[in-house]
Formats: sequence, structure tokens, C-alpha cells
Amino acid sequence: MVSLARYIRNIRRTGIKQWWHQMQYIGDAKAGTLVGADQFGNRYFENLSPEDEVPGRHRWVDFAQHYNNATQVPPEWHSWLQHIRHLPPTEDAVMKESSPPWKAPWVENLTGTRGAYRPYNTVVPKIIAWQPKVMVRG
Amino acid sequence: MSLARTRLGVGLSHRLLNQQRSTVLRSALITYRSISSSRCSHAAPLDRHDSLEGPVRIRSPAATGTLTAQDEPDKHTDSYKDGPSAIDKAVHLFFFTEILRGMWIVMENFFRPPYTIMYPYEKGPLSPRFRGEHALRRYPSGEERCIACKLCEAICPAQAITIESEARQDGSRRTTKYDIDMTKCIYCGFCQEACPVDAIVETQNQEFSTETREELLYNKAKLLANGDRVEAEIAANLHSDHVYR
Repeated sequence: MVSLARYIRNIRRTGIKQWWHQMQYIGDAKAGTLVGADQFGNRYFENLSPEDEVPGRHRWVDFAQHYNNATQVPPEWHSWLQHIRHLPPTEDAVMKESSPPWKAPWVENLTGTRGAYRPYNTVVPKIIAWQPKVMVRG
Repeated sequence: MSLARTRLGVGLSHRLLNQQRSTVLRSALITYRSISSSRCSHAAPLDRHDSLEGPVRIRSPAATGTLTAQDEPDKHTDSYKDGPSAIDKAVHLFFFTEILRGMWIVMENFFRPPYTIMYPYEKGPLSPRFRGEHALRRYPSGEERCIACKLCEAICPAQAITIESEARQDGSRRTTKYDIDMTKCIYCGFCQEACPVDAIVETQNQEFSTETREELLYNKAKLLANGDRVEAEIAANLHSDHVYR
């Protein structure tokens, strides 16, 4: 009954409204410290206490969009969420330094929408299809 | 009786003859080989044993292979002595105790917190060397790194990369076509290992699934756009691994 105690404890920590929000998405009552938010409004949480979270579930994201998917996480936060980097990008000096001025804005995976990538040839085609020319009859 | 004895005699002599013949043949063969593969001074005939002696026995070192079935260890121990009795076994069998123990483990785990990671809200750990979607990088000045050396195209085991190059107006060689067929790619990472300028890299992005097949035929613009978006993450990963590179 450890997890039931944890469940009730987390509801009391986060409040009923946040609990209801979590049950719509992550499906579990989780309480942790707010580590930061990205430019899209996704909020990132962390709870390192072994009494609250099993290892591997200690970092999570609360998406801003209702129809969420994993690609809505920008790459800086992605590397924090997937435990590639120890510190969040707001504190990570290496991540801050390695962000160039020409960095393009992050776009989520737009497959299945009108924004999806369509491949095209970047050079002049070597084979040009035969275009029939009709001579005018005399 | 006498018939059997004669037959035995015949059989023995026959075997002896065979052995003799094979010995002669073998020593002759050895002589022939040594003549053909050695100098003339060593071409003297080998010291031949008597042809009746038979083949020389190959002796193993002492105390090897001396264990026989009689010396088998634990031969006289009763392995059932300390085990459960037949009645104990019958009791376990008829009262389904093993099934009950299994059910108990199931019930224990039912009340334990699950280890399920709730993707995409939570994610498992990933290596900075993870090989996901490809990207073409730029120098910090914004100049693209790829110099069209075609090493990645040459090393690609799946032959997924197609490169065409031309000289740019300032004289530098650049790619006009850099296509990766992501349906062919096996994500081995040879391209990023072959690249002398760290232009082609595999990013940590694994969520690039598409609804159509043609969206996976990446061209140069798509790869450069990937690199522009995730440059901070790529650079941080390369920095964290630079001591091992």
C-alpha cells in the first residue's frame, strides 16, 4: 500500500485541480519541483526523492498542448528529459554556450499535417522526360 | 573348433599384414614429403623403425586421461538423502503449493508501485552517443561544414547517402545534393565517424516517424534545417564526449 499512500500524499501536495489535470494526461498523481518551462509553455518537473518516484520516473513534462506528442519538447529540454544532460538548460553552462545565433526555431513533427516535409530534388534533373511537339499540318 | 581357430588365425594374420602395409606406406610418405620440402643435406632417409614394430604410440603426459568410470566423483553419494521425502513431494503436488507461491508473488507485485515509464511525459535515459535522426551541421559562423568529400557516401553500408557536388562561386567545393534515404539507413553511425569535419551527425531525436514513405527521403535542405534546430544539443553532446573522441 506504499503507492496508495504516495498517491494521496501527492494529491495533498499538488491540490485537487492539478491532480485532475495530471489524471487527464500523465495518469498519475505526481508532485515535484518545477525545474523550468520552455518557450512553448511546457513545464518540466523533477522529484529525486526515492519515496515518491521510482528511478526513471523522476523527470517529467507537463505539455502545454492538449494534443501532445514527444516532439513538442525542444532539443535543449529533450536532452534534460531523456537524462542525457544532468542539469536543465537554464543552468547548464555548456548548453547555453553551444547555442549559436543562427539557431532555427524548433518545429514539432508535422507529419500528417499540411506542414509536413515533402522531399524535392536539389539539383537539376539529369533525365528530362520527352515533351512531344506537334508539328502544324501544312 | 578347429574351423574357428583357423579363421581366427587367418583374421589375425590379415590384420597384421594390413598394419604392416600402412606403416610402410606412412613412412614412405613422410620420407617423400621431407625430401620435397627440405634441403638435400636433410634428404637422408628417416631412421626407420622396424616395420614389424608398428606405428609409434603417441604418449600423453603422465596423469592425464587416467580417470575412468570407476573413479567417477560422487559415485557413492546418495543425492536424495537430504532432499524432501516422497510424502513431502506428494503433499506439495496435491495441495498446489507451487501455484499458491506463484500467486502470492503476483499479489505482492500487484500492490507494489509500477515501474512503467509514462511516455511521452516521462522518458528513459539516452546516451549522448545515441544515433537517431541525421542532421548537417554548420560552423559557428553559419558556414555549412560539409565539403563534399563523399566519405560518408563511401562508408555507408546501406548505401543510403547520395551526394553530388559542385564548386561554389568563391571556389569552395560544396554539395548540391545531399540525400539520405532514411528507409535504407540502418543507423550504424559510420557516416558521422567517417566525417572529417563533423558535418553529418546523428542527433538524439528518435521521434521522426512519418505517415508517408516519401517524407523519409531527406534532402539537403531538410538535413540542414535539422542541424539548425538541434545545434545546441549536438554541440553539448559532442562536448560531453570530446575526451573520448
